Amino acid sequence: MKTSSHYTLALALCAALLSVGTSSCKTELLNPIPTTLYPEDVVFDTPARVALQVNNLYGYVKTGNFMGGRYQIYGDIRANDFLNRTSNSVTALGVWNHTLTETSQNDVINLWASGYAAINQINVFLAGLDANAAKLSTTPFPADYATTTAVNYRAEARLLRALSYYALLQFYARPYADGGGSKPGLPLRLLAETNDENNDLARSTVAQIYEQILADLNYAEQNLPKSYVATDVSPAGFLNVTRAHRHTAIALKTRVYLTMGRYNDVITEADKIVSSSAPFKAPAANGVAHELNPSVAAVFALPQETLENILGFPFTAQNAPGTQNQLAYYYLPTTQGGNGEYGLNTSAGSTLASPAFAATDARRTNFVTIVGGTSYLRKYATGTPYTDKAPVIRYAEVLLSLAEARFRTKGNTDVQALALLNAVRQRSNATGGYTSFATADAAVDAVLLERRIEFLGEGIRNIDIMRLNATIPGKGSISEVKPSDVLYVWPIPAPELAVNRLMVRN
Amino acid sequence: MTLLLVLILLQQAIAQNRSVSGKVVDQTGSALPGATVIVKGTTNGVSTNSDGTFTLSVPEGGGTLIISSVGLLSREQPIGTETTFNIRLIEDSKQLSEVVVVGYGTQARRDLTGSVASITAAQIATKPVQSFDQALQGQASGVNITTPNGLLNNAPVIRIRGVNSINLSSQPLFVIDGIPAFSGNTSAVGSVPNNPLSNVNPSDIESIEVLKDASATAIYGSRAAGGVILVTTKKGRKGQSRVSVDSWAGWTEPVRLLDVLDANQYINIKNEAVRNLNANRVAIGQPATNLEGFKPTLDGSGNPVDTRWYDYVYRNGFSTSNTLNFSGATEKTSYYTSVGYSNQKGMLEGNEFKRISARLNLDHKVFEHFTVGSRVGYSNTRNLSPNSGSVGDGAFGTAGLGRSPLVLPPNIPARNPDGTYNTSGAGIGAGANINPTSATATNPAGSPLLPGYYNPIVDLENNYYTSEGNEIQGSVYANWEPVKGLSLRTTYGIYNISFEDKSFQTPLAGDGFSLKGSASDYYRTNKRWNWQNTAQYDRTLGEKHSLSLLLGGEQQHTEIQRWGATRTGIADPFLTNYQGTFTSISASGNVQGENYLVSYFGRLNYDFAKKYLLSLNVRRDGYSAWAEKWGNFYGTSAGYIISEENFWKNAAFANVLNFVKVTGSYGEVGNSLGISDFASLPTYENNLYGDLATLYFSSPGSRQLTWETSKKTDVALAFGLFQDRITGDVAYYRNLVDGLILRVPQSPSKGLPGAAPGDIANADNNSLLANVGSMRNTGIEVNLKANAIQGNKFNWTVSGNFTTLKNRVLSLATEGQRIGTATSGLETVNYTEVGHSVGEILAVPSLGVNPENGRRLVRKIDGTVVQYNHLGGGTGWTTLDNVATSAPTQLTDGVYYGPTLPTWYGGLDNNFRYGGFDVGVFIQFSGGNYIYNGTKAGLHDQRFWNNATDIEDRWTETNTGGKWPRVVYGDNVSNGSALIISENVEKGDFARLRNVTLGYTLPASFLSRYSIVSARFYAQVQNAALLTNYSGIDPEISTNGSNNTGAGVDRNSIGQARTYTIGFNVGF
Repeated sequence: MKTSSHYTLALALCAALLSVGTSSCKTELLNPIPTTLYPEDVVFDTPARVALQVNNLYGYVKTGNFMGGRYQIYGDIRANDFLNRTSNSVTALGVWNHTLTETSQNDVINLWASGYAAINQINVFLAGLDANAAKLSTTPFPADYATTTAVNYRAEARLLRALSYYALLQFYARPYADGGGSKPGLPLRLLAETNDENNDLARSTVAQIYEQILADLNYAEQNLPKSYVATDVSPAGFLNVTRAHRHTAIALKTRVYLTMGRYNDVITEADKIVSSSAPFKAPAANGVAHELNPSVAAVFALPQETLENILGFPFTAQNAPGTQNQLAYYYLPTTQGGNGEYGLNTSAGSTLASPAFAATDARRTNFVTIVGGTSYLRKYATGTPYTDKAPVIRYAEVLLSLAEARFRTKGNTDVQALALLNAVRQRSNATGGYTSFATADAAVDAVLLERRIEFLGEGIRNIDIMRLNATIPGKGSISEVKPSDVLYVWPIPAPELAVNRLMVRN
Repeated sequence: MTLLLVLILLQQAIAQNRSVSGKVVDQTGSALPGATVIVKGTTNGVSTNSDGTFTLSVPEGGGTLIISSVGLLSREQPIGTETTFNIRLIEDSKQLSEVVVVGYGTQARRDLTGSVASITAAQIATKPVQSFDQALQGQASGVNITTPNGLLNNAPVIRIRGVNSINLSSQPLFVIDGIPAFSGNTSAVGSVPNNPLSNVNPSDIESIEVLKDASATAIYGSRAAGGVILVTTKKGRKGQSRVSVDSWAGWTEPVRLLDVLDANQYINIKNEAVRNLNANRVAIGQPATNLEGFKPTLDGSGNPVDTRWYDYVYRNGFSTSNTLNFSGATEKTSYYTSVGYSNQKGMLEGNEFKRISARLNLDHKVFEHFTVGSRVGYSNTRNLSPNSGSVGDGAFGTAGLGRSPLVLPPNIPARNPDGTYNTSGAGIGAGANINPTSATATNPAGSPLLPGYYNPIVDLENNYYTSEGNEIQGSVYANWEPVKGLSLRTTYGIYNISFEDKSFQTPLAGDGFSLKGSASDYYRTNKRWNWQNTAQYDRTLGEKHSLSLLLGGEQQHTEIQRWGATRTGIADPFLTNYQGTFTSISASGNVQGENYLVSYFGRLNYDFAKKYLLSLNVRRDGYSAWAEKWGNFYGTSAGYIISEENFWKNAAFANVLNFVKVTGSYGEVGNSLGISDFASLPTYENNLYGDLATLYFSSPGSRQLTWETSKKTDVALAFGLFQDRITGDVAYYRNLVDGLILRVPQSPSKGLPGAAPGDIANADNNSLLANVGSMRNTGIEVNLKANAIQGNKFNWTVSGNFTTLKNRVLSLATEGQRIGTATSGLETVNYTEVGHSVGEILAVPSLGVNPENGRRLVRKIDGTVVQYNHLGGGTGWTTLDNVATSAPTQLTDGVYYGPTLPTWYGGLDNNFRYGGFDVGVFIQFSGGNYIYNGTKAGLHDQRFWNNATDIEDRWTETNTGGKWPRVVYGDNVSNGSALIISENVEKGDFARLRNVTLGYTLPASFLSRYSIVSARFYAQVQNAALLTNYSGIDPEISTNGSNNTGAGVDRNSIGQARTYTIGFNVGF
């Protein structure tokens, strides 16, 4: 009897299990909710969450493959100031020796993809602001959010979009000077892309892209905050360098107009943030009071947040540029925390060999280091985890752009232009100031040379060559590249050509 | 039995008889109780006693005894005038009478209408492998297994009847004792692989079944497209209370290492290349300032250094494996329990695998009709590997040890004369070499030539990469038979694994240098529960209708979590682990996943008179990862055993062709293996901007995503000849995969995200998953097995299998689409295009070397032949008339060389037995595929890289017929590094003597004196010989692992080892 009751019990249990097991489909388990992924309908729910999205736009533009390192590196090594030391095709060998093809992954394909990835994040955010307009005007958003903060954000987004388009233009399209912008530019993506539509989009002309860049920057200038106030996590100095404000937009416009050869516009824009006489300074009433720092070394000393630094992208150990993207990794010798990918060229024609670059120049004594007979750039001096900011624009550039524009439009005798040039030059080389120039060309050449010395390793060189439709000088066994050469601009990446049926090759 | 005895007595009463006696033993020499001994042509027979002995009355005139036992080959023994017989029966794994494991049950092979291959314990138990799946190579038709390289515990690439997906997994579903297992490399550290299947001790396995067609696999519904591999572990057998010890020990050595230049040859070639470069520059009026910088480096004694880098990287590794098990059964309880320890050292320095395992399998009959039981396995595995560059996208890494000995200059030492490492920064020191291109006005003597590659001994002596797994896997079940023929069963299983993956990189040099030392630690848990409830009803109606019905439900829930961090900036090189103090830390490797599968299924088997067989399997699955969650799958099959027909049985040829069965099946099964848990959701994620948090649009999701469907057709003929002395089958299969999930490429200018910001090369960017493609696999499978010679002393069995495969991509996402698959994200060799096999090699046709000038010749798509002269002006490319031309490109000028999957493959197994000796010779073969030998491209690169010795046959003015182009320093085009050329495409046909075994089984009579039941000693060689025209290290290689579309690439991977083992198996 005992056995039989056990038997019954066992059977009952078994039957119960069977019936429960077969019938209970746990439907909630069929829709598991990820714990680290947000559904798209909650991302405009709170002001803090929208702010996170704004941070992201910067985060995307500053990825290591784009303006967090590689864009700047490509801009320098194409020309003749750097010599490749490792023959490593991953670290831009093809950029240096002009052997890029449309399938070159690390540079041709990745720069394009990362630039457009940033642009789409921006476009998605802008579209999101529109689509969530109703949310943004009700609690928990402050009453004036839609007309103030949201507008500021929109301006930041558009500034970053302009910056991204500008960067891509410098590699993938003929210069504006070549045909006044009539050559094929880029596909102008302004819509939020979130599905499988719109693959085909033809290239707008170079001029059309610049037109959009200027429209975005003008909007940004009008709608950005003048400056930032400290938050509980970030000091104002940090925010004023790592986020765009009104003067950032103006400074970028001087670069854009200079690139387009619109020198009068350079002057108009620069005048908004450069006082008419030394010491040159941006008016504090209108925004951040940019000025030259007395010491160029201090501009590149951590945290790189002087009033001269207009925009730079920050890195931390948690948020590093990524392997083989770091500026210091490329330029610093191995004994100083880098990988010595590129040394400085000292042969004739290089910036280092220029008589204008004195041995006592602070930019040489601070930023050139010689190890084992090889010269290296030491502008980015922080080794692992490589937390030097990636530079975008600083006040010295605005001054030199203004100087160039004035020399070009007002001639070699322009006093202010000379003062601007010397302000930058004599900061680092007190005795090296120019007194006068015989011709406007000589004056412009002096500015161009000064730009090479001042911005060595900041990614400006390529812009300065291309905007004048000049030959890319050769180095060592690498031949020069004339503007007529197909290698003068990068090929359009194969993945774009494969899908976008309206795309045409360079 | 009683009836049998009566019959025997009757028989005795009517004939003139005499008595014979004897003993029946199995192949290990153990007594075989319960075997049947019968006089041929009569019903006169007996069963053997518990000690295997028998006594039987036989006709005075002799005749023939037939001795048989379940699972063993029957034997016929002429009686003659003998009076005592000692008879050995050997195992027959493929016998038609065997019982095979199928999904949620078992079935007699004879009645099977689906396609199921069986592999027995004997075929895998003694193989020196880390996981049982590695031992399945060549063992079954339709199952192609590639060992991607010689790294220990690297998951093999398994393709059952071809590649059955492009974007999802094509690996089969592994089911261990009914519970679906985790498989595939699960390590978070790129350098060290960890295949979770290595947690199963191969010695614990009783049998492995491979389900191939729709009929057999449909019961697994949505997970069955790539086939299903069922693993059954051992259980105790009645009457055999045994203790058994399995041990082996062995040595592993590298084979077929590629010959590279020695120091002298290297210096000569490279300086010649510099001279040629200068000549090229002069020819176009450019300065020729390159230095002949390759010079002998002197060691401490003043002798030139000549380093053979292989000696630092490879070794002979020693391995052992030991398993102790106890098993047995009573009327009520059966048990099997084992403990195992395996320690294997690979041919690569620092490559090691250890496993400690334990298992307890119990079945207990609580009541007459109520049984409970459990299957529980625990194991701890520890994988240790240096950075071989052979796994985890490491093919082009500067640290990969597969690559170091090929690329490093032989004229520089590993150590300086004072014994310190030869390093310069992260890389190896330059020795005496001067960078040829480094001369400048201020530095006319040039700078040292720093290779940038790492000194391998720094990595080997300081860094480590480990992956340790702890697994508990098992199930409990209860089975109740309320009425005869009805069996209700509930099984609850868990499959939990935790992994701790670690890496450490020294600050001294190598990858850790710029990080100032780095240590990472990742902890991962895979947790799965699975609950199955089935009702099985078997009934015979009337005499001839047999019916078997299965109904069931299954739920499975899986959660995967991983967290980890990387610390950099070590306080002091004294520290060697993550626990030490570092200046920075950042989170890495965080993963959170969850999925749920709920299913209802059924199977109906019906046969009429054991002649006509029908089977229907259906399954309905709901899976959490899909947008469209539910899918229905089915497989149906029919069979006809013609040899059961009376006309056949009575025909004269029935003695020859004793068994013939034709079967056919069709069905639709699904694939969900490899889809990420949240693939269908549009999502945002957090990231960082400096020290500020961000929120980014991370995935557009795929809002209509659902199962891939595999429509499988199978037609087969099985036969037995000469009373099953020869058995075999021939099958035709056709898999049509529909609704293939593809990444539909989007214009990169749309900027669609799919990965974290910065992870821009990730293929998930700029694409959307959709069920859009289709693909077909067709082929023929043949299995044959013959007991060629079957004597008392000498036996020879031969079995072989052969499979053909034709893969065709029928449609992709967009018309004319080419899906490229990059090797380690850098070099795209494989392209998938409609009308071709998946992942064919796209290469520009090379026409060899122009004897006029030593330049590489290739043909453009328009037919023009062009030649390359490095840095010889413009792009370097000219026509044969020396007119400058654009560079040829792979996408424009490439033509397909393919397929990369073998189009035929198989195995041939010969087993000889003479007395106590046995010899096994197993040959595995495969071919019809092409391999892109990227390693060969690298070995002829004219940067400072070392070259293969055949570079000696390069073009020079005195050797205008040279096979390799004129060497020009820095040229990485002519050799194929920068342009994929057909020069490096080779055929992959091979035959490998995979295993040779010699064994000796001690006579039972001898052993019984020491209370030993059985004892066998053996010696074997794995990978004993390789016959191939392939010039690389091994034609069976896969740098891209199990990537569906990236097969057939050989890029700096290490080859396969040869292993010698000796071992024994003793039972008490």
